[in-house]
Amino acid sequence: MNEKIVIKNVNKFYGRKQALFDINLTIEKGMFGLLGRNGAGKTTLMKTLAVLHKKKSGDITICDVPVEKAKEIRAMTGYLPQDFSMYPNMKCDEALEYLGALSEISKAECKKRITSLLRRVNLIEHRHKKVRELSGGMKRRLGIAQALIHDPKVLIVDEPTAGLDPEERIRFRNLLCEIAQDRIVILSTHIVGDIEATCKNIAVMDAGKILWKGTVQEILENAKGHIYTTNVEKRFLPQIKKEYIVTGMLAQTDYVTVRIVSDAEPDLPNTVLTEPDLESAYMYCLHSNGCDVMGGEE
Amino acid sequence: MLFSKECKKILHSFTYILYCALVILMVVSQYFGESGGKVYPPVKGGDDYGYKIEEDHDIIMSSATVALTTEYFANRYVCYPFGFYKAVHLNNKEQAEVEKYISELSGLDSKELIDIKNNSNIYNYTDGTHYYSDYNVMDVPVSETLTYERFTEIMGDVDDILGGGSDYAVESLVVRFSRIPMTYEDAVEDYNELIEDDKITGAYARLFSDYAGIVLAIVPVFVAAALTAADRRRKMNELIYSRKTSSFRLVFTRYASLVTMMFIPVFLLIVIAFVQLLSMYSGEKMDMSVMFTLPTFWLLPNIMTASAIGMLVTELFSGGAAILVQFVWWFMGLMMAGTAGLDGMIGKYTFICRHNSLGMRRAFFMNWDNFVFNRIFYIIISLAAAVVAVLIYDMKRGGRFDGIRLFGKNSIFRRKA
Repeated sequence: MNEKIVIKNVNKFYGRKQALFDINLTIEKGMFGLLGRNGAGKTTLMKTLAVLHKKKSGDITICDVPVEKAKEIRAMTGYLPQDFSMYPNMKCDEALEYLGALSEISKAECKKRITSLLRRVNLIEHRHKKVRELSGGMKRRLGIAQALIHDPKVLIVDEPTAGLDPEERIRFRNLLCEIAQDRIVILSTHIVGDIEATCKNIAVMDAGKILWKGTVQEILENAKGHIYTTNVEKRFLPQIKKEYIVTGMLAQTDYVTVRIVSDAEPDLPNTVLTEPDLESAYMYCLHSNGCDVMGGEE
Repeated sequence: MLFSKECKKILHSFTYILYCALVILMVVSQYFGESGGKVYPPVKGGDDYGYKIEEDHDIIMSSATVALTTEYFANRYVCYPFGFYKAVHLNNKEQAEVEKYISELSGLDSKELIDIKNNSNIYNYTDGTHYYSDYNVMDVPVSETLTYERFTEIMGDVDDILGGGSDYAVESLVVRFSRIPMTYEDAVEDYNELIEDDKITGAYARLFSDYAGIVLAIVPVFVAAALTAADRRRKMNELIYSRKTSSFRLVFTRYASLVTMMFIPVFLLIVIAFVQLLSMYSGEKMDMSVMFTLPTFWLLPNIMTASAIGMLVTELFSGGAAILVQFVWWFMGLMMAGTAGLDGMIGKYTFICRHNSLGMRRAFFMNWDNFVFNRIFYIIISLAAAVVAVLIYDMKRGGRFDGIRLFGKNSIFRRKA
């Protein structure tokens, strides 16, 4: 079986409003990051892949199965929505058993998988806890467990780290990397750090369009020659933020080191061309595609 | 596995506990507390033995002619199409047709009818919302040449003019217009029917079903709606939508678990009622099965229909609209329960079947065919509603439909505007 997702010329409308414009993507085994601002269309694309939304036109195949075959697609995909919860009075293992039953797994198999998954997501000690007693991070990990209960070939996770504390976020990212060893994992996020730490291949979305697709290395290459750092006095900061896309600031004793995205070398003293990081490369990608980017403006 | 999990979910829900409380309250207060006690043989020399329904053609023709003339004078005909109250007002042409039929029934011409109208007292009354004036028509003769066959033809035509569901519908004539006071002998016969024909349990099964049927026509809709809305309320709908299971399996498993769980307290109450009968009538010969079979056949369609409607409405409408529609159902249910005849009056489409009596077995069996048709009709309706709920669920699951909204930004009224 061809273990990849192929998206060809996909368009999607909400009423008269177009939400996805001619999306073309090929996603292979491993972690794939979908990066974009809030409202970029990432969730719409994720939901279309999870057969929760219907596309207007175009073709999507997941492991050679067209999305129109909803039941087959649902059997091979696991989905963790951005905003989800579970019945609060159910215990963790009960909630998983319930969703396992909906995935049509036998009772014995389900029990076996629940133990193994809860161990994997580090919730085995909390298996008899009610869902309402879990912290945000624990709930997300339970969310991953439910998405994997039927051992899907594809895992779709939408903004999974939003609202998590740094430690929980790292733990969650590591977990996703482990899971991606033997399946396709699509991680949709607006947090660049999540992508940087986990994904080899990425796509950048904005306003329903794919602006860029390739490897992390390629997007960094793409931004080379457009990222600068400069040291400026604090009083000039507002002016600089107005004129340039500022992606980072580091306050020193009597000046600030500013990271700037620019097509040409900024007309500022002490400006140095720098190696791009993913955040700056992403901002440059948006900027070079004509998106309205106000990096540092307050 | 899924069925037992759905049952467990229902068992732990607040609305289900409320449902159980309401069913128990209704049956305990009405059946166990009031009417379900032991019946003793009638005592000779009593003043009132109640009434009985007997197919006496003369009484039927006379009472129906008076009733029709009364409604004709006021041009307000009370009908219950599909069990719902409706006051029908006819136009001049239709009134003229009804007058022609009254003339044929009574042998009176227009002028004589006007005389009766003018000589009748007018009495005013209100239903709490509107004020009405009716003519207190005391007596309208029945034409001597009128046969019962022709009479039923005329009544059928009048019912058609009124749009159906009137007292003049041929199948209602006996029950509506042929009630006569019982004599001591009639009362003894009625009592003997309870002991010998109903074998005791038959009569109590009807009375039990009568009371339980009212609450079971209304309350299950809320339990079903709460279960259906829980996924969205708990933000679990997308986790469920994305599972492999088919919409048909999911909705029907939920439906089956709802019906099962809601029948359990009813069944337990039936068992208690049966045990009570065993102790009350120890030594008497009883039908051991009818106390279970009749209430099941009587009440299950109520639970099935109310549950299916609850699911359907909640899937079809979003947010506040679903609650609004549930309350409409609630009021309709109350109206139907209040307006349905208390005994023997079981129409083909009356959702709440009533027989509020331990006696009057014959009146009940006079409508037996209607009763069987009615219950099967509602089973079919409930299954059809559940199938429609499956289709809507499947559309929502695939992102093709998001529920009708009556209020707010995406209200259907705003979209049209």
